[in-house]
Amino acid sequence: MNTLVLELPAAPARRDGRSHLYAALSPSLVVLAIFFALPMGLMIGISFSDAASGTLSLANYHRFLTDGLSLAGIGRTALMSFLVAVSVTILGYPVAYFLARSKGRTRAIVFALALAPELAGVVLRTYGWLIILEDRGFINDALLHLGLIDAPLPLSKNLFAVVVGLTHVVLPFGILSLMTSIQGIDPNLERAAQMLGASRASVIRHVVLPLSVPGIVSSLLISFTMAASAYATPALLGGAGFKVLATMVYEQVLFYVNWPFAAVLANALLLMMLAVSFIGIRFEARRRAVHKGLTGGAS
Amino acid sequence: MNRMTGILFWLALLAVLAFITMPIVVVVAASLSPTSAVSFDPSQWTLRWYADLASQRWLQPFLLSVEVAAVVAVTSGVLGLLAAYALVYERIPASDAIMSFLLSPLSVPQIVKGVAIVLFLSQIGLQGLLGTPALIAAHVVLALPFVTRMVATSIANFDRGLDRAAQILGANKLQRLIHVLLPMVKPGVLSGVTFAFIISFNNIPLSVFLVRPGDTTLPITVINYLEYSLDPVMAAVNVASMIFILAAIFTFEKIGGFSAQIHGGSK
Repeated sequence: MNTLVLELPAAPARRDGRSHLYAALSPSLVVLAIFFALPMGLMIGISFSDAASGTLSLANYHRFLTDGLSLAGIGRTALMSFLVAVSVTILGYPVAYFLARSKGRTRAIVFALALAPELAGVVLRTYGWLIILEDRGFINDALLHLGLIDAPLPLSKNLFAVVVGLTHVVLPFGILSLMTSIQGIDPNLERAAQMLGASRASVIRHVVLPLSVPGIVSSLLISFTMAASAYATPALLGGAGFKVLATMVYEQVLFYVNWPFAAVLANALLLMMLAVSFIGIRFEARRRAVHKGLTGGAS
Repeated sequence: MNRMTGILFWLALLAVLAFITMPIVVVVAASLSPTSAVSFDPSQWTLRWYADLASQRWLQPFLLSVEVAAVVAVTSGVLGLLAAYALVYERIPASDAIMSFLLSPLSVPQIVKGVAIVLFLSQIGLQGLLGTPALIAAHVVLALPFVTRMVATSIANFDRGLDRAAQILGANKLQRLIHVLLPMVKPGVLSGVTFAFIISFNNIPLSVFLVRPGDTTLPITVINYLEYSLDPVMAAVNVASMIFILAAIFTFEKIGGFSAQIHGGSK
């Protein structure tokens, strides 16, 4: 709630040349104060109140830690997001490398193919995966037809389907952060290594990969956070039994109408996000410090 | 060995591109297939499912989504421009702190923002605002930080030499803002507005808490149906809404020409 204080300088409309600037700024501040800062504060407050009596209590947090379901939900969220982060980074790497190192028409086509799906929206893509992965869907149909399997493979309504769907949703963001990082690597380093006799595979392994670690880390972090806060894909591809924090929050609000417990779950998700971005900030700070040390503080 | 690596690299690249395009190709094929079995034979394709789109069941949510997205795009465009102007162009005191506050919603997951807003409205007795007004407010909270950041970047890149030149030639403050600054940052503002329109139009995690019967956006209507059936009509709805978004981007691009900015051309 500290953030609310920032709004105060805008309040007294001083009659100097600046007052119109505060007037220009105030609509944004007011909108965010009323519909963001205030609700967030209230939500955190409510998580400490008793559902029935409304008095101050830690009962919701006690329930969160002891009911088993909630902690299992956190574990599932973390596992799902981790698998998505790793798949996005592995699948995104070749595309990002290609985009960073090529020019012209082919690059433009690959760029459009890689990023255009983002415009299609999450629903369309999730729907596509439903058709493909269902028991009577596309892949199972084909495999049954070819006689490779006797019964449909369990491809949908489980962790596998959710990871596939989310990987697809997050991939463009992973590609962009990897691409930016690879673009920052001097191509002459690769040429030098090649001239010294390194094969292309070992140039990638010993030159490009180590230098693109910052991009790999940011791709992992952005994918993790996007996957952990996704709602629609786990809800549709995971089936009724697949519960992650985001779908559990939804359930508490719309089915059980238990505001305080919904607030606890939402806070847990928020904390998870903040922890991940904190890791990212620490990593970046350490990398900068090392870099500064190497260049004698010249950068 | 090197050739081997090259071939493997191309195979990996093509496999990933196939993975990326597959669900979209399948949905387009499903929307054209005569039955719920997806057909890839163009001679069997039909547009019959698209005929259903004109029914109230789909038209009403579509119009609501367009209305919300349009209001959100304009509102966050205007607010973001004003805020970025005061903070980046004029650099009023405490600009950095205020900017961090304006960007802070970015670090909160959408579903958390959604819960916070619905909880807030119900606690202060304003459930009546659920539906269109709450959707607009929540989507503005979502879009405003993005738009502010985009406009702030284009103001930061603005060449102040032009401003000084105009001043020397006798332009007053207002004239400089309208004839120098505004045209230069227009691509940034328009790409922000386009982005706001898209994230509002496609939004699920916030809208899911804020819609109410009779006041439901298109993506929420679709996911509610998806839980029961994989009707080809759904495929048609999805494809139509994708085409609509592409058309919207094309139109904004025609007005604003912001792709030059994306490619690093302007400045």
